[in-house]
Amino acid sequence: MEHSHILLAHGNGGRFMRELIREVFAQGLGDVGPDTQLDAAPVRLPFAGELLTTTDGFTVQPLEFPGGNIGSLAVHGTVNDLAVAGADPVSLTLNAFIEEGTEVALLRRLVAAMAAAAREAGVRIVAGDTKILRRGEGGGVYLATAGIGVRPAGVKLSMDLIQAGDAILVSGPVGDHGTAVMLAREAFGLRGDLRSDAASVWPLTRVLRAMPGVRFMRDPTRGGIATVAHELAQASGLQVRLWASQLPVREPVRAVCDIVGYDPYYLACEGRVVVVVAAAQAQAVLAQLSAAGAPEAAIVGVFETGPKQAIVETHLGGERLLLELEDDPLPRIC
Amino acid sequence: MKKAVTLVLAGRVQGVGFRPYLYRLAHSLGLVGEVWNEGGQVRLHVQGDTPAVEQFQRRLMQEAPPLAQPVLVSATAAPLSLATDFTIVTSQPSQTAPYLPPDLFCCDECLQEIADPGARRYRYPFTNCTQCGPRYTLIAGLPYDRSRTSMAQFPLCKACLAEYQNPLDRRFHAQPLACPACGPQLTWQYGSEKIIGESALTQAVAGLQQGLIVAVKGVGGYHLLCDARHAPAVETLRQRKQRPHKPLAVMLPQLGADGLQGVAAYVKLSEPYGRALLDPSRPIVLIPLKPDHGFAPGVAPGLDEVGIMLPYSPLHHLLLQEWGGPLVATSGNLSGEPVLLDAQAAEQRLAGVADAFLHHNRPILRPADDGVVRLIAGKVRRLRVGRGSAPLELTLPQPLLQPSLALGGQMKNCVALGWAARVVLSAHIGEMASPRSAQVLTQVCDDLQTIHGIQAQQVAHDAHPGYTTTRLAKGMGKPLIAVAHHHAHASALAGEHGIGGGDAKLLLFTWDGTGMGVGEYPATLWGGEAFYGGPGAWQRVASMRPFRLPGGEQGGREPWRIAASLCWTMQRPYPHAPEAAALLHKAWSKGMNSPWSSAVGRLFDGAAALLGLVQKSSFEGQGPFLLESLCEGQPGEVIPLPLTLDSQSIWRSDWSALVPVLQDGRRSVQARAALWHSSMAAALVAQVEQIQKHYPVSAVGLTGGVFQNRHLTQQVAMHLAQRGIALLLHEQVPMNDGGLAYGQLVELAARQQQHAQQ
Ligand SMILES: [Fe+3]
Ligand SMILES: [Mg+2]
Ligand SMILES: [Zn+2]
Ligand SMILES: [Zn+2]
Repeated sequence: MEHSHILLAHGNGGRFMRELIREVFAQGLGDVGPDTQLDAAPVRLPFAGELLTTTDGFTVQPLEFPGGNIGSLAVHGTVNDLAVAGADPVSLTLNAFIEEGTEVALLRRLVAAMAAAAREAGVRIVAGDTKILRRGEGGGVYLATAGIGVRPAGVKLSMDLIQAGDAILVSGPVGDHGTAVMLAREAFGLRGDLRSDAASVWPLTRVLRAMPGVRFMRDPTRGGIATVAHELAQASGLQVRLWASQLPVREPVRAVCDIVGYDPYYLACEGRVVVVVAAAQAQAVLAQLSAAGAPEAAIVGVFETGPKQAIVETHLGGERLLLELEDDPLPRIC
Repeated sequence: MKKAVTLVLAGRVQGVGFRPYLYRLAHSLGLVGEVWNEGGQVRLHVQGDTPAVEQFQRRLMQEAPPLAQPVLVSATAAPLSLATDFTIVTSQPSQTAPYLPPDLFCCDECLQEIADPGARRYRYPFTNCTQCGPRYTLIAGLPYDRSRTSMAQFPLCKACLAEYQNPLDRRFHAQPLACPACGPQLTWQYGSEKIIGESALTQAVAGLQQGLIVAVKGVGGYHLLCDARHAPAVETLRQRKQRPHKPLAVMLPQLGADGLQGVAAYVKLSEPYGRALLDPSRPIVLIPLKPDHGFAPGVAPGLDEVGIMLPYSPLHHLLLQEWGGPLVATSGNLSGEPVLLDAQAAEQRLAGVADAFLHHNRPILRPADDGVVRLIAGKVRRLRVGRGSAPLELTLPQPLLQPSLALGGQMKNCVALGWAARVVLSAHIGEMASPRSAQVLTQVCDDLQTIHGIQAQQVAHDAHPGYTTTRLAKGMGKPLIAVAHHHAHASALAGEHGIGGGDAKLLLFTWDGTGMGVGEYPATLWGGEAFYGGPGAWQRVASMRPFRLPGGEQGGREPWRIAASLCWTMQRPYPHAPEAAALLHKAWSKGMNSPWSSAVGRLFDGAAALLGLVQKSSFEGQGPFLLESLCEGQPGEVIPLPLTLDSQSIWRSDWSALVPVLQDGRRSVQARAALWHSSMAAALVAQVEQIQKHYPVSAVGLTGGVFQNRHLTQQVAMHLAQRGIALLLHEQVPMNDGGLAYGQLVELAARQQQHAQQ
């Protein structure tokens, strides 16, 4: 490409645009990228099963943060939505909205991260589109991905299956992504020990989905594990009890949240999965999670008969309601 | 000359032995007639010689039993009848909503009885009569009858039944009456040791003597008791309850002719304190400590006063007599949750706190934690509605158009049910963050409606969207009315003084922690507001210079954050801050989770931290309590705070001049604490004088948790008195968030009336 920064002309359908697509996107994605000759891409399913589709948009600021960037996030986010539904992610499409003046070198880094993430999850990005936004009308880069996956026959995952007594597991510490992005966004410029957990959960879910007793899986993204717990309570009509003593939170995350006044249970994860398992199989599933690459997984809660609400049992034995997240939480202490 | 009258009496006339009292009075005067209950009222017809009837009418109100609070509705002349005796007629059903009596003390006659070795109820811990004992916590429904109380499961023995049926006995229709043969029993549980019956009490006293922490089931819930003179026991209790500093209440035996001789050695007892201690509601009274009090230092660390209460039930009298000294008596709960009610929950939840349990098998239907009062500006003022005072009967200055529930706030919460001009305010429930608080609140709302036969048509709640009570209100499926936190505070004060109209000319100061403001975007957190007008039409006229609360809600728990924020605003470093301050400063400077606030309660926190008194507080108000304690009642120097009109026509006092003075180490800590109070009082008075230039002010009022601070309130009161300005303070309704639910109903009624007039 002859320019170091994106011009409006990179969106005009002409040579600049062709160069951008070929040199930045197609070459950057390589073997997981699209076949640029085709207007529409065929999808080859690895096995016969139920077809699943999902879509997601990504507007994270800053575009790059410790542990990932918007590119890797755009792949992991959609892949994980398919994975927790019990599917093998097969292919993605990509829409990129790029602000005029964006550095091409940055774009290349984002695309490289996308490629790596796609490889990790075994998906191809089979089709794409780019649009250029006028300077000042976008946050640098916005991405949208749509995904197709296939779910083997016989995999049944549904909130409807949840019963009182079922255990709740989480595949690792919570709040890493939300904290890392928050610190990066506000340019706090410290705490190198805080990294996003952005990763594919497919290596975990492909093992879990076939295990007996597994009822439901979800990735605790926006709103964190508290929001998942709240949704699970509403959907199951049961009380969700989480144990603070069992819920893994990394020490630097805890420390930063304490200072800034955020509750890590409400902060996003991008590489974790919450699993609901029949009590009898909980230990077996925990062992599998550990073996499949999630050594910090833990049994963190239980479904109980009771009012349909989520509560957390604190370290002191007290109980706290986990209410649905507000847009902008204001202090309640009088 | 013969005369006959028909009298109608309302007020607290049921469950307090009022009809038997009328019966005895009529008999003693040789009158005939009849008396009956009709809904919430007592109606009677008396006739006899004219002087005797007149005497009856006079003495009826003057000599009413201590617990009765009769209100004469009407007295009309009646035709003479052929009656030959005075009789108590079976109750008539009626539409009038009844009065639910509170839980009261153990009366002198019952006390004598349990001390009399020859009496049937010698040493019986559940003795009561029509003049005393539990009510609110054991009534399941009304009309008030044993079958609708938690005593229903204890069939009366022959002797008790005879008392119950005898109109001349003081236990005539005493619904919770009981005796050792037929009533509830104690159980002592210490590890595997279990003792049922009278010796359970002796075991409990022995346990306390060994330094054990004993959970004791009382009237409205469990207490945790331990020896108040034994430092290790107090320390252990604090450690286990995770309550490092919050003062602990102390129960002392009722001794001597005036009942106060067990108290006088520990605290500076003046007449109003004594009267408050002996009130039939037996509240916790905050009283200044004597220097040589002899309590373990951990009872009220750093404070110059302590909460004292006298025994309120026969069980506690027996315990305290046998113990003979001070016992720490703190709520048996996990911090902030409603007090625990039953053995199973207590043993489970207090497993890590109590060594042993003294249970009894009379069920408690709803919690009533101890009530709390404090002497402020010459009067005893209620800080917590609880056992003995709940449900608090209040009136509205303007009636509600529909029956309504009000769910209050988030901290120290109570709920209220209102219909027409009547309001019942529940006992203190607790902090609303826990699921048990939410569950208790829902149950109390249901109970109040069922018992009074009133179904609320609408629900008032705080304007804060994140309060648990707001979420609960939304789940009730009824029309909702949001009331701004400080409008509710202001209306509670106006309402208590019978002022309801929006055309009132009040100037009310609502100083507290924080509450959701209205009419601004983004919303700021109020808490230093002055409103002009009346309920339903408050106009915000004065406030404080806003400051940031870095870390949001954490600022309420960690006063150092406020101190740091005040310093940073003044471009001064905050020297005492932990290492974390660097990170917090970044958040503060970027406005990240650092909402703006004008809350004076938070300024008091900040001042306490600037004086080095507290960096992180372990209970609400710790900083302000310590700050007030330092002043020893002495006024200090006044630093005048500039008062300027902002762009929204609100007068703002600027606190910034106080920051360097509070940090000035050349002044003593006491002098700086006194200076802080005096300057804030002067700032308030300056606001009053400024507002008076623009509006006619009929009276100034103070409400909100900050005015629990006696030192501040009394200085304001003195300044206003010197200027001849009328001052309104709370007496019955808590000035803190415990009064919000009542204020929400006052506000709601006023809005409805104003809407109806348009
Ligand atoms: Fe308040
Ligand atoms: Mg998603
Ligand atoms: Zn009595
Ligand atoms: Zn009996």
